[in-house]
Amino acid sequence: MQQRLPIAVCFIAGALMFLQYFSPHPVARAVFVTINDYWQIIFAFTLLVGIAAFVRTNLRQISRGKEAPYRLIGLAGLVLMPVLAVFGGIKIESPFQWAFENMLAPMQATVFSLLAFFVASASFRGFRARNAQAVILLAAALVVLIGRVPITEMISDTFPKITFWVQNYPSMAARRGILIGIGLGSMTTALRVILGIERTYLRGE
Amino acid sequence: MNRLKTRWIIFGGLFLIVTLSYLTNIRFKSVASPEIQKSYDYLDSLPEGSVIMVSFDHEASSLPEIQPLALVVLRHAFKNNLKIIGVSLFAEGTAIGYRLLSQTAREYDKTYGVDYVFLGFKPQQISAILGMGESIAHVFPEDYLGTPTDEIPIMMNIVNYDQIEMVISIADGALAVHWIEYVGGQYHQNIMTALTAAMITTYDPYLASGQLYSVIGGLKGAAEYENLLGQPGGGNRGMLAQTSAHVYVIVLIVIGNILYFRGRKNGKA
Amino acid sequence: MVLHAGPVQATAPGAGNSWFDPATLPTLVLSIIAIAVVLYTIRMVRSGKSFTIREIPGLKAVEEAVGRATEMGSPILYTPGWGGDIQRPTTIASMNILSSVAEKTAQYDCRLIYPTHDPVIMAVAQEVVKEGYAKAGHLDRYRADDVFYISSSQFGYAAAVDGFISRTKPASVFLLGTFEAESLILAETANSIGAIQIAGTDSTIQLAFFIVACDYTLIGEELFAASGYLSRNRMILSSVRAQDILKILIGLFIVIAVIWATFDPASTWWSF
Repeated sequence: MQQRLPIAVCFIAGALMFLQYFSPHPVARAVFVTINDYWQIIFAFTLLVGIAAFVRTNLRQISRGKEAPYRLIGLAGLVLMPVLAVFGGIKIESPFQWAFENMLAPMQATVFSLLAFFVASASFRGFRARNAQAVILLAAALVVLIGRVPITEMISDTFPKITFWVQNYPSMAARRGILIGIGLGSMTTALRVILGIERTYLRGE
Repeated sequence: MNRLKTRWIIFGGLFLIVTLSYLTNIRFKSVASPEIQKSYDYLDSLPEGSVIMVSFDHEASSLPEIQPLALVVLRHAFKNNLKIIGVSLFAEGTAIGYRLLSQTAREYDKTYGVDYVFLGFKPQQISAILGMGESIAHVFPEDYLGTPTDEIPIMMNIVNYDQIEMVISIADGALAVHWIEYVGGQYHQNIMTALTAAMITTYDPYLASGQLYSVIGGLKGAAEYENLLGQPGGGNRGMLAQTSAHVYVIVLIVIGNILYFRGRKNGKA
Repeated sequence: MVLHAGPVQATAPGAGNSWFDPATLPTLVLSIIAIAVVLYTIRMVRSGKSFTIREIPGLKAVEEAVGRATEMGSPILYTPGWGGDIQRPTTIASMNILSSVAEKTAQYDCRLIYPTHDPVIMAVAQEVVKEGYAKAGHLDRYRADDVFYISSSQFGYAAAVDGFISRTKPASVFLLGTFEAESLILAETANSIGAIQIAGTDSTIQLAFFIVACDYTLIGEELFAASGYLSRNRMILSSVRAQDILKILIGLFIVIAVIWATFDPASTWWSF
């Protein structure tokens, strides 16, 4: 029963969502909207699970003295933002928005900007002409990089054209092949879930 | 040279180059690529009063690149007297979306509720996207400011995507794929995206197949669009930094290979 | 369950009170073919047929990665990326691999750290890891606190995982799931501490980063095949077989359509 019920729910929901795609009938649309609504509601509850787990894990680790400063900062953020939202609202010029724009956004942008530094170090390390395949990778990378720089556009339009060709033919062909494989893999996995063969999401079977 | 020292040199070099680029006043003249011209022409061709939906599908982290992209779209739309319905499918895009929309509306003297509206954020992107195909007011019963959606003048004649000319997703990730696959595929809606540069290639297959109408990509795309609009802004300001960083990476690749071959000659590699 | 009674508009796909939209016929036919192929391969397995799967280098390295971590006395870090949720097939494929990795870490008594951005993924991963430890007969070695939720924010998650990698210095890092811009940040940080990195994702753009930065990369569908490869689960292998059959059918269709379109450019039967 513990397993059969979720498998039955999964099968019915999966089959309904699949079938509704083909039907413009108002009943099918109503079923679709209703499942969507329940999806939203269930999602809201999962956030509570996340918050509870976050608080419990961090408090336990702090009590053991493990990485206490990091964990305290994490917990402080978790408490601070809702408190600001509850007491000051979330509209423009509220303390919540101030914290969002002046604390959260710059911190997030800082982590994102690390990507530029890591692209530089990965390019330095990764693009080496070790063998024939690596030479092709290196040549393609250089062509695309050069073609994307405005200064080369100003000198000649040949490089942007070559870049366009590399991106839209060999690269696109490879990517489409990968995408078809991924699509088929996703579809067969989804079918396994709907048919109750794949039960990892239940309890790791 | 040890690994850590090499990293410090690489990172320090990039930091210096980008910082210096922003401090100098050199400007590139970016010519509009066919893709940018296509996006511009489409928005330009819409009759006054047409409604477009702009979805702020990004996080705060990508703001430096996203802001110029969002501004060119919003400015062009308001300049041509198009009406805008703003939404956000990322919590962090909500406040940013509202700020950008309000700021641009002020520039063009537009009225909230009549010329534009911001419906706010909805979690569970696929569910929200599909739900709006049935009824926008059902997914967003009230706008960001708490006004019931069906009482807002701009929303009076809008039920779902059928009354909207185009959805423009301003995204820093793969979220726009949901717009393409579900709204483009199921509801036959025109989709345009304004994307961070790193994400452009993800959308190439959709662009080539015609599922995606057009892409305004990265700072370069924003700079080209700004030039078409005749309003240089953040895109143009960032072009030198981006160009310098590209050249720096090319130089690093070349140095990396020289070191590799020298090491191999000396029997180290 | 109460059905929604609001302003439902039957605008798409197609309008009206019909139960079937003819415009969706090609999708329906192709879906039926795909389902039939999957059911056929499942039936083949049930009737005793077995399938083999080619060696995947990234998965052969799993044993090496766990062994290395054990020798060094360092943990293993496994994370499914920020882009997916539990209903995403990639996440489910990643869970199957996690199950095998957990079993091995339990056998070797190696610590397994699993940070995630999604509370539901966390709950499922806890069960998967626990079962892996139970299968290995070492449930006592399971630590629930090592499978934890961090933040749903992309770069909050990336910063926290980066921090864990820098502080705990895992010997091996598994980046298997749906990744977005955080992929290179995590891979390069793992590289900077000298960890073995085994990565795999369904995001084509992040694959490019992983191929440059990681030791082993599972490309696209290899991630789905991986769960069958590691678990030798016959049902999963049957769906890998179904994928191959469908791929051959798609390939044939493309070849026929290309030849047809070349000789008869005005034809459109192949475009739907």
